Amino acid sequence: MTEKRIKIGLVGCGQIADAHLQQIRRIPWAEPVAVCDLEPLLARQAAERFDVPGQFASIEEMLEVSRPDVVHITTPVESHRPLAKLLLDAGVHVYVEKPFTVDADEARDVLDCARRNDRLLCLGHDQLFDPTWLECRERIEAGEIGDVQHVESVLGYPLHGPFGTQVIANPDHWVRRLPGGLFQNTISHPLYRVTEFLSDDQPELQATWFSRFKQISFPTELRAHLRGEDVTGSLLFTSSTKPCHRMTRIYGTNGALEVDLNSQLIRADRVDRYPGAFAKIEAPWRRVCESSANLAQNVRRFCKGELHYFEGMKQTFLRFYEAILEGDEGPVSYDEILRVTEIMDRIFAECRKGDSERSEIKRRTRQTMSGTQTKKHSADNPEGLVAELSAGNGSQTV
Amino acid sequence: MGTRTGNRAMQVLLTGATGFLGRRVLRQLLDEGCAVRCAVRPGSDVQSLRDFVGLRRWSRAETVNVQLANPEQCEGLVQDCDVVYHAAAALSGSASNLVMNSVVPTRNLMNAASEQGVGRFVLVSSLGIYGSQELRRNSLLDEKCPIDPAGHLRDPYTYSKILQEEVAREISQESGLPMVVVRPGVIFGDERGAMSHRVGLQLGGLLLRMGGGQRVPFTYVENCAEAVKLAGFKEGIDGQVFNVVDDDLPTGRQVLRKYRKAGRKFRVIGIPQVATNWLARFNEWYSERTEQQIPAVLTRYRVQAMWKPLQYSNSRAKEMLGWHPSTSFDEAFEKTMASGA
Ligand SMILES: NC(=O)c1ccc[n+]([C@@H]2O[C@H](COP(=O)([O-])OP(=O)(O)OC[C@H]3O[C@@H](n4cnc5c(N)ncnc54)[C@H](OP(=O)(O)O)[C@@H]3O)[C@@H](O)[C@H]2O)c1
Repeated sequence: MTEKRIKIGLVGCGQIADAHLQQIRRIPWAEPVAVCDLEPLLARQAAERFDVPGQFASIEEMLEVSRPDVVHITTPVESHRPLAKLLLDAGVHVYVEKPFTVDADEARDVLDCARRNDRLLCLGHDQLFDPTWLECRERIEAGEIGDVQHVESVLGYPLHGPFGTQVIANPDHWVRRLPGGLFQNTISHPLYRVTEFLSDDQPELQATWFSRFKQISFPTELRAHLRGEDVTGSLLFTSSTKPCHRMTRIYGTNGALEVDLNSQLIRADRVDRYPGAFAKIEAPWRRVCESSANLAQNVRRFCKGELHYFEGMKQTFLRFYEAILEGDEGPVSYDEILRVTEIMDRIFAECRKGDSERSEIKRRTRQTMSGTQTKKHSADNPEGLVAELSAGNGSQTV
Repeated sequence: MGTRTGNRAMQVLLTGATGFLGRRVLRQLLDEGCAVRCAVRPGSDVQSLRDFVGLRRWSRAETVNVQLANPEQCEGLVQDCDVVYHAAAALSGSASNLVMNSVVPTRNLMNAASEQGVGRFVLVSSLGIYGSQELRRNSLLDEKCPIDPAGHLRDPYTYSKILQEEVAREISQESGLPMVVVRPGVIFGDERGAMSHRVGLQLGGLLLRMGGGQRVPFTYVENCAEAVKLAGFKEGIDGQVFNVVDDDLPTGRQVLRKYRKAGRKFRVIGIPQVATNWLARFNEWYSERTEQQIPAVLTRYRVQAMWKPLQYSNSRAKEMLGWHPSTSFDEAFEKTMASGA
């Protein structure tokens, strides 16, 4: 029997590449063989810190020399389509960091390319494989909250963290050039936590974006509502609150579950069993019991060394690599990749529409205001009034 | 070199002018009568820099908005400059961010400087880049000590500074661009107190004092700025490296005592020198066993480089730059405390 082994390359040695390399290193049979970046110094630092033998500034050279089975793409999203197609055409499997592509047209193109080349492609919807999320899914599937009715997803964004500060400081930053700006880079996480439960291809949607900070010229807040046939959803992206939540609340016909990915906790809301004032004792008591169980579970996981921020990423990699070796389907379906990208496009289009409607209203208000001002001015000014009247008279005679 | 070239004032380019050290370098350069072009980022706080140096001096300064990561933008920037002072660097963030903001700009700026025939490139490096883990306890750390050969085993900031110097040296050697390197110790002063990692590590509300008997290689920010300034002026020092630390360096324990005397309260846990190694060994073991559930921030390699008792020398800077740390540590500490830092 041959030894289980998979060779991995990575393109784009920025911040998220560190997380990828760290998680790849946790899989004993996965071997990072090469890193590649147009900026050789970035490739060098990644190779040195993660002990990767190959470092390249050209993908073609990396493919030829290091011969990886899979390549992870961790570059800015604008380059995802050309890079993914180049790699798939070259016959390697591809893992793409979110967001998938600039828009859904590009997404279709890349997915077609994967099908054509019979290579697997996986998108980093990694929070779906986070142990806490998986546990929550299991509990819902076991019927704990009845039928899902509504899903609320929250993402708190550290705008003044290391990445956000770069986006703020640099007007040419690639994030600022995206159709969905800051949101396009991260919103897929809270969104796919909603679409997990919302099966419609084209849910109705309303969305708006705005900024909470006077000195920042691009929108930093986004709100969206989705309405599907059976389930509705809402999405809150905020840069102005703390802590930076990564939370989803799922409401069912018989209770609700709240998943807090940061603290790796699940909290349940149940229907009260006791009437009136007794329920006010029962509810906090239930919270105490639940918190004790959560504490015990996290202590156990801490002792076993299982509390990793990017555990979901490792689990996604594992499933993807296994699918490659066994010729199965990847962990994230192509339909889901496309659907999330399409919904994102629609959210951004809706926000932009709102922007132009608002500026149109402003423009009209300004016009009306200046109109009244002229009128007022002319009323204050008898000469102007006379001129206006005589003009009116003139037109009558004509 | 002096501060005049022919009949005109020396034209210098300064990066990092809005920073803690850079703004003092700028003020001192303007006081010397230099014309200073400051390379700033689009988001840099130029207003507060102008307030800091004062309007009278500001008339000889200009600011240029650039992205130093963009080689084309660097070319015009260094045109007609006699000296480039490069003090910009990122101090925190991921390794890739540090490389992009410290090493890549250095390479681009030096390439542009060599092409434009700049007279001297002054690189603000760091005392942290030495491979001091190889030195014996209490031995002398001076400019002759080798640079850490395994920078990637150090913290990301130090790694970026090691890489920065390596790249700078390569370019200087290949292109013949005259370079002077200044390696400051721990810089402290008004906006930034003296509570450095070299004294102890902050853990929530606790301070883990690491060792305590070892001297901390401080330099007061005004003293340091003067050394940087001189590194651009003095004749005959091309290719030299200067460690910049003040005289009469206090130990970590003495620094804490001074803080207490000044009325600051800390909850301190003293980790004896030998125990710092055990702590690191435990951190490494735990991190490996749990696949980095808690990263190996404290490794034996880093402990040896950071907290080993050593002697520091500033004699080369004194002899060749004619530098003298004019503010003593005690005076500087008092000023710093009075500023509320
Ligand atoms: N502080 C210490 O204890 C210490 C010790 C030894 C050596 N050093 C070195 O001394 C120098 C100055 O340090 P500091 O303490 O003054 O740091 P600081 O206060 O953080 O200032 C850093 C400066 O660099 C600028 N900068 C950062 N990234 C840049 C980029 N990509 N492009 C252009 N400018 C950029 C910043 O501009 P913005 O205003 O736009 O942010 C700021 O002006 C650095 O080279 C540092 O490595 C410091």
